[in-house]
Amino acid sequence: MRALLGKKAFLVLLFGTLLLLPFGANKYYVFAANLVMLYIILALGLNLLIGFAGQLAFANAAMYGIGAYGTGLLMKHFALPYWLSAPAGVVIAMAAGTLLALPALRLSGIYLALTTLAFAQFTFWVMTHWTSVTFGAGGFVPPPIDFAPLPINQEQGIYYLSWVAALLLYIVAKNAMESPIGRAFVAIRDRDVAAQSLGVDLFRYKALAFAMSGFYAGVAGALYCGMLGFVGPESFDLLQMVMHKGAVVLGGMGSVLGAVIGGTLLTVILELVKEFKFSIEIAFGGLLMLFVLFQPTGLVVFVKRWLPGWEERLHHAEDDGAERAPVAADGESRPQTQAGD
Amino acid sequence: MSAALRIENVSVSFGGVSALDEVSADFPQGKIIGIIGPNGAGKTTLLNVICQMSPPDKGEVFLGERRLTGMKPNQVAALGLRRTFQASQLFAGMTVLENMMTGLHLMSTTGLFGAVFRTRRMRDEEAEMRRRAMEALDYVGFAHFAHRPGNALSFGQQRIVEIARTLIYEPKVVLLDEPAVGLSVNRVAELDALLRRIRDERGVTLVMIEHVIRLVMEVSDHIVVLSSGRKIAEGDPSAVRNDPTVVEAYLGHQAHA
Repeated sequence: MRALLGKKAFLVLLFGTLLLLPFGANKYYVFAANLVMLYIILALGLNLLIGFAGQLAFANAAMYGIGAYGTGLLMKHFALPYWLSAPAGVVIAMAAGTLLALPALRLSGIYLALTTLAFAQFTFWVMTHWTSVTFGAGGFVPPPIDFAPLPINQEQGIYYLSWVAALLLYIVAKNAMESPIGRAFVAIRDRDVAAQSLGVDLFRYKALAFAMSGFYAGVAGALYCGMLGFVGPESFDLLQMVMHKGAVVLGGMGSVLGAVIGGTLLTVILELVKEFKFSIEIAFGGLLMLFVLFQPTGLVVFVKRWLPGWEERLHHAEDDGAERAPVAADGESRPQTQAGD
Repeated sequence: MSAALRIENVSVSFGGVSALDEVSADFPQGKIIGIIGPNGAGKTTLLNVICQMSPPDKGEVFLGERRLTGMKPNQVAALGLRRTFQASQLFAGMTVLENMMTGLHLMSTTGLFGAVFRTRRMRDEEAEMRRRAMEALDYVGFAHFAHRPGNALSFGQQRIVEIARTLIYEPKVVLLDEPAVGLSVNRVAELDALLRRIRDERGVTLVMIEHVIRLVMEVSDHIVVLSSGRKIAEGDPSAVRNDPTVVEAYLGHQAHA
């Protein structure tokens, strides 16, 4: 019973379903499932940055866009094959992400949020206005992707590529966060001055967090370009950024599993309400507000509390208030007797 | 007697207000040194200058023969100079054990590659860190708290864990910023015993700022007195206690009248 409810079972079920889905489902479901995998990747990457390393950055959609544009434009302008342009797009997105670590060295909190937001808006402006390169507001159609000699078409090829990427990037995130790197990230998030005094190099680990999230967003962008067969700026606007953030908040800040849950649920919910005009924004806004107000640590905390076998190594600060009370029983919970001098 | 830590002519001012003025001192190896002085004497500023969290305007800091001035705090930490803080600085999102393991951060040699592929070396290192972290918790008698979240402990318990975390990676010199603040009388006694034990068993040089004069006078081997950014006295506790300049700095001129 325990094994059936554990996180392993959940992951096997999720990735198993995604693996087999194309054999039974229609085109629309396959598309939605592919989107689920992209949002898992995006949420994993963003969670490393904001949930673990505590860097309140708002440029994830921009890096997602840079990955998609980089991939698509290299195919369109230079006729590069996808297997070359996609890694190049990822590298460009990762470089852009790493660049954002520079302001993060001096800024934090709302100031970092504003700076990265400005970067995102600038990226959006370039996508819309540098018409000779980016094809402007109307976007562009990259050349079709050939998976020969494999006997699969573009849709299937991108789908399975996304599947492999999502699974590998989940493992990368999980292993990295269960190592000294994860502890360094959380230390910087919780107490950066103390982290530094224990020898944690703030610049190195902030740069790593930004580079990793840029890499994840870039991979999602490169896949998105191939999945949709179209790249346009409106896919990478502010709403997109808020959606990535929403996936992280919904699933659980600072939880690798939370990102998987959040990315999956967000996509499914938004696809379900899609038929009603404007309902995406309303449903999404409502959901986000409910979570920020009532469950800021995300769904994964519920799951951890009620199901066995969901423990993660680095847990979020607020996730077990129940355990907290009995320990502080030695009669000195808060500063009190300051023996006078 | 060689100096574990030496400061030479250190001056710091904030917007024209002088916080430290030409302070020099030697901190002898393997001793407990107390830095005392009235509020605003520049004690915390001196600690921040020593560990390079705020750079001095003038003067130098040496750890043994190594010049620290101009380094980053994490580089200073890597050389064996560690510190604790006035407010609790435990990482709330980690267990007590993980907090201790973070204290061993500098021990780790694995990068992203080793972490992602969980190489043999990475797993061995993690196991070794875990073992040493448990051992250190045992040393302060907190092994049973290992798997509690950092913020589940009481203020005093957090303080002890923080000191243990600072000591875990064999530092040469540890700076303690008011370790007794907010502790009950019993815990101050425990702290007193712990500091002596660390000095005697590990040979660590401890530099402590403290308002609880009783604790300072009891545990310190050597005392440095600051007042208005200047060093006004230095020596063993009994000498400092009877020094008229010190009495005046604490009680004011009227004490003599």
